[in-house]
Amino acid sequence: MTTVLQVDDLRVETVGDAPRTLVDGVSLRVDRGESLGVVGESGSGKSLTVLAALGLLPAGTRVAGGRIAVDDHVLVDVEAGRWASDRELRALRGRTAAMVFQDPMSSLDPLRAVGAQVAAAVRVHDRGIGRRAARERAVELLTSVGVRDAAERAGARPHQWSGGMRQRAMIAMAIAHDPLLLIADEPTTALDVTVQAQVMDLLAEVRERTGSALVLITHDLGLVAENSDRLAVMHHGRVVETGETRAVLAAPAEAYTQRLMAAVPAEQERTAPAVRVGEPDALAADEIVVEYRVAGRREPVRAVDGVTLRIAAGETVAVVGESGCGKSSLAKAVLGIQPATSGRVALGGTPVRAALAERSALQRERAQIVFQDPWSALDPKLTVHEIVAEPLRIRRAYDTATVARLLDDVGLDESFARRLPAQLSGGQRQRVGIARALALRPRLLVLDEPVSALDVSIQAQVLELLDALQREHGLGYLFISHDLGVVRSIADRVVVMQHGRVVEEAPTAQIFADPQHPFTRQLLDAVPRLTGPRRGAGR
Amino acid sequence: MTAAPLVAVATPVVRRWRPRPGAVVGVLMLVVVVGLTAIVPLLPGRDPMAQDLRAALLPPFTDPAHPLGTDALGRDLLARIALASAVTLGMTLLIVVMNAVIGTTIGVLAGWAGGKLDAVVTWVSNVTLAMPVVLLLIAVCAVLRPSAGLTIVVLGCTWWVGYARVTRTVAASLRRQDFVVSPLTQGADTVWVLVRHIVPNVWPHTLIIAATDIATIVLITSSLEYLGLGVQPPVPSWGSMIFDGQRHLAGDPWLALLPGLVMFLAVAGAQFVSQQFTAETRGGLLRTGGMR
Repeated sequence: MTTVLQVDDLRVETVGDAPRTLVDGVSLRVDRGESLGVVGESGSGKSLTVLAALGLLPAGTRVAGGRIAVDDHVLVDVEAGRWASDRELRALRGRTAAMVFQDPMSSLDPLRAVGAQVAAAVRVHDRGIGRRAARERAVELLTSVGVRDAAERAGARPHQWSGGMRQRAMIAMAIAHDPLLLIADEPTTALDVTVQAQVMDLLAEVRERTGSALVLITHDLGLVAENSDRLAVMHHGRVVETGETRAVLAAPAEAYTQRLMAAVPAEQERTAPAVRVGEPDALAADEIVVEYRVAGRREPVRAVDGVTLRIAAGETVAVVGESGCGKSSLAKAVLGIQPATSGRVALGGTPVRAALAERSALQRERAQIVFQDPWSALDPKLTVHEIVAEPLRIRRAYDTATVARLLDDVGLDESFARRLPAQLSGGQRQRVGIARALALRPRLLVLDEPVSALDVSIQAQVLELLDALQREHGLGYLFISHDLGVVRSIADRVVVMQHGRVVEEAPTAQIFADPQHPFTRQLLDAVPRLTGPRRGAGR
Repeated sequence: MTAAPLVAVATPVVRRWRPRPGAVVGVLMLVVVVGLTAIVPLLPGRDPMAQDLRAALLPPFTDPAHPLGTDALGRDLLARIALASAVTLGMTLLIVVMNAVIGTTIGVLAGWAGGKLDAVVTWVSNVTLAMPVVLLLIAVCAVLRPSAGLTIVVLGCTWWVGYARVTRTVAASLRRQDFVVSPLTQGADTVWVLVRHIVPNVWPHTLIIAATDIATIVLITSSLEYLGLGVQPPVPSWGSMIFDGQRHLAGDPWLALLPGLVMFLAVAGAQFVSQQFTAETRGGLLRTGGMR
């Protein structure tokens, strides 16, 4: 068995007078046809390690030590003073080693037809091939990655393709020259769970066909458990544990690996519900319909089609479904951000108007939202104190003590008050967002994928915090999520949505034990599990 | 409270501010011009208007009473250059501020409101861009009397398109950010959001354009002064001084060269400094390269 990628004692540093070490003494080996999972949280150096192997380090970082060889061809050997030229690296990229990136939307040129982009990937290393032949090859490649009617769809531009289809196109580009090594950096993070399963199946099938090795970089232990032969766990720029995936996950030796595994939401339901009997429902929504007008279409698009939903005080109801199923539109209609076309909303027992602009300040404060993206949720120019104080200032109820108490409630001490959002981690930002949402003492908190942008150990902390706050204040939670693992550990009831309608609604335990609707079963089957390969790790 | 409060760990946030060499040179150039403007009027016996026909056309560095010499009417050149600098720089700053305020206001409102207002603003912007400002000013001067005030008003109301275009785009992208939606769900109105969230985030972009605009406006006002539109004699300006000096270019070239040199210092200095501004905001883009 030959080695496809060999990294020895790699060190990556920032460039500058006082370099920081980002990757420190990392050694990895990937053999032909093998699949290596590299797991770690944000900032663990997992992406940098692999980017270094292709000479794609971001500006401001550099290889400071160690040796990298791809297919027995030494690219870097710092001790020996060997540095591959840009020309060598270009010859390597796409031909010997190819990369599949996280976000297929930003990795594709929005102005060019998908087929033309795949054809360009073909021509990069095969100048001799004519334009027409390259196009035909592109269609062939797209067909081979499961794009139906590839010949017709090749002419469409990326925004006309779904996320899963775009990721298929990226994979088609990556395998255009049958590379020995496929590097997939969080290839499914931007995708729905059922699409994620399809893409991982496709990667496994491609490897079976071409015999290429796979390096799978991810923060998702479940994904690695199902799709890799060996595993390397990275933490603070070092490999802390490596070995056979199954063996490592069955008996993790290192404390950090154990912590990572413990943080994965357990496959069990919430044990102690916090529902308060006798208080008015946090949310009563009846027959909600949300329609959008789309340019160029006469008929409006119906995003939510007659959904009725009740959330008691202290209850968590999770709404799950794939992108475009209407779960976010439903949440926006409850908040009034996108007014419902028809239907009734009552918050804390009081009926409210459909549009936010028509709701009184008192009605608005009954439902608050914690946003999905902690980066766009906070004004970069305001300090943490000012952000949390803002709702109080709007209602002319500002005082310093209240802000301090709110920050304390979400586990941030006063040293955070003067910081700017840029000086916070994702988890800390999300805490600030929660403190701001709680400032006006709402009855209902809309949690729009509140932990999907966070690392798994931070996820667990934020979920714990949400649970504690719910018990303290009797909040109703409308929890929007695509992550069934998270849903299972926090929700009392689960509502499954498809095409704007509720297809199944049941207590959490019942949904997981005995799903009735085929779509629910499909969703559950697609969730990667720690307990081992769903389909033999693509061997 | 359940979890123990997290304690803020000191993270290095102060990005080291490195002045570019060009910016240092630029600041020095501006210091010379501004220093001249500020200090000379304080010196005794420097009247930019006082004529002395017996001491006309003195070359520089010959008479200690007139260090930079005198013009055809025997007026002290140093004092006149200082006053001209004050006049031109003052006009420029006024024009830039007017345009920045007008353009940013229009841009923010168009970006925020979108729809019809946006379409109207875009149309007006295009018309304004297509309008030949100099011809317009000449036309206005033909009807009214040319004056500094007229130049300021005309230029101050016709050079805002750049500000409007950029701030419109920034405001439109901010409108979709969650931190702008959040106060609305808490009972805030549009004015609140515009004043607290949109304008503070748009402002840096306005500053960058303003910094690059200063040099352009200096050149435009000076060309207009050269054509006799703007400040009227006997008050000097760089443009009118160059025009006057042009008649003596063969015998006494310094009459045109000295104000030209000061103008060059101002324009080049402003340009160098503005490059520092743009460099500050450009950082952070991912660039990928080779191995080192």
